[in-house]
Amino acid sequence: MDKRTEICRCEEVKLGEILNAINNGAKTSKALKLATRAGMGICQGRTCQPVLEQIISYYTNQNIQETPGLSTNHPVRPLSLEELAGNRKDL
Amino acid sequence: MTYDLVVIGAGPAGMSAAIKAAKAGAHVAIIDENPVSGGKLLGQLYHEPDSGWWVGRNIAREMIAKASSLGVAIFRKMEIWGIFPKWNIMLNNGERLTTEHVLIATGAAEKAIPVEGWTKPGVMAIGAAQTLTNFHRVKPGKKVVIIGVDPLSLSVAQELKMAGVEVAGIYPPPATEVSSDKSNPKQIIQGLSAMAHLAPNALLKAAGKAANHPTIKNIAAKCYPSFGVKVWGIPLHLRKTITAIEGEKQVEQVRITAIDGNGNQKNGRTKTMGVDCVCISGGLYPLSELAEAAGCDFVYIEELGGHVPLHSPELETTKDGIYVAGNITGIEGAKVAMAQGELAGTAISSRLGLLQKGSDAISEAQVKVQDARANAVITFQQHIESGREKLAQCWHTNVQTSSGKG
Repeated sequence: MDKRTEICRCEEVKLGEILNAINNGAKTSKALKLATRAGMGICQGRTCQPVLEQIISYYTNQNIQETPGLSTNHPVRPLSLEELAGNRKDL
Repeated sequence: MTYDLVVIGAGPAGMSAAIKAAKAGAHVAIIDENPVSGGKLLGQLYHEPDSGWWVGRNIAREMIAKASSLGVAIFRKMEIWGIFPKWNIMLNNGERLTTEHVLIATGAAEKAIPVEGWTKPGVMAIGAAQTLTNFHRVKPGKKVVIIGVDPLSLSVAQELKMAGVEVAGIYPPPATEVSSDKSNPKQIIQGLSAMAHLAPNALLKAAGKAANHPTIKNIAAKCYPSFGVKVWGIPLHLRKTITAIEGEKQVEQVRITAIDGNGNQKNGRTKTMGVDCVCISGGLYPLSELAEAAGCDFVYIEELGGHVPLHSPELETTKDGIYVAGNITGIEGAKVAMAQGELAGTAISSRLGLLQKGSDAISEAQVKVQDARANAVITFQQHIESGREKLAQCWHTNVQTSSGKG
């Protein structure tokens, strides 16, 4: 794949940046996320996570099942503070 | 608001479960992010050899009517941002639903295949093209090419053609770090065997049948004509790939090059073809973020499509009261999802004490899931059965090694 190919659309991270991070020692998709912001955007990795896992597996010679995936944190979908508060009185 | 069961996702699995549990007398809510319930059923439209046309939107409509008549509370256009013990379901309008039983039936998401230029306007996932065409009744483009040869891309190609879109060709993706078997003609021929009985073209049918024989598979990949084989009048290419999607502000053309029987590009020579839309089909993976946020244990099983929540034969996860059904458990068709939904609905009703012979009903529902799997017209994952067995083994090991759940 060309190094200019975009991998994470939300954060506009290109393959070249991902490969730099791997050359600098990243071995998991979590490490890639912390190093490059890939998977940290509004879709939270829903589009690029499988691709990141395949890239990591390919370049670090590991099986995908041996590398941990991205972790999911609350809130799992983007929401505004207004939505979060809503009409709730118990917050 | 408190419910006996909160179902997340109003697709075939979630709706079946909600109906089953409500019929047994449970107080059920079903939450969906879309304005119209039915999930992926809404876009499904294909011909089955034995039973005729499968019109997903009609089936969805019947299920919605059924659920409403049984008093299921249907929340539309709502997203869930969190799930906290034991169990609080947080909606993005600030509302909170409380329940002891949750069914996560969030389905699947599409796997991307990055190709040079894949982020340009006019490039979309194959599922988006399907929804646009069959549900919104909007043509995704005037002249379309499809990247990715699999059961889903072939059926969407047919649907696009029926809608009057010019489908200029179906191509395997270029061989890259992430394309794995998807760009290897031999592997593609093997994959097509899963739908050989649906293929309208004699050569494709023969290729599908031959795929189980290793030598014939190799010969078929080598001898596949460079101009493609027409399927429903659409050129299906195995010996050419698309290396780039080009255009200044949006898709204007694709760059095509020849590949050998293993998917390697033969020479640097490329040709261009003018198109205004490119659909990419990279397969599906289980969409499981809510199960993960709830703290469920996961296993990675390639044959099921990726990371899936570990679950029991009754579809309960490692978190007490959290169940899963449908594509979140592995990529299969709508009929299997519906049977799984009925199983989850039955298991939850039984636990609520609403069924007289609960264990019999559960066994019956389990048999129905197996039947639906055995009779599936299209198999999305080639080795689904072995994937299911692997998961059952993982569950078994998990039960043996852990003293309790929670």
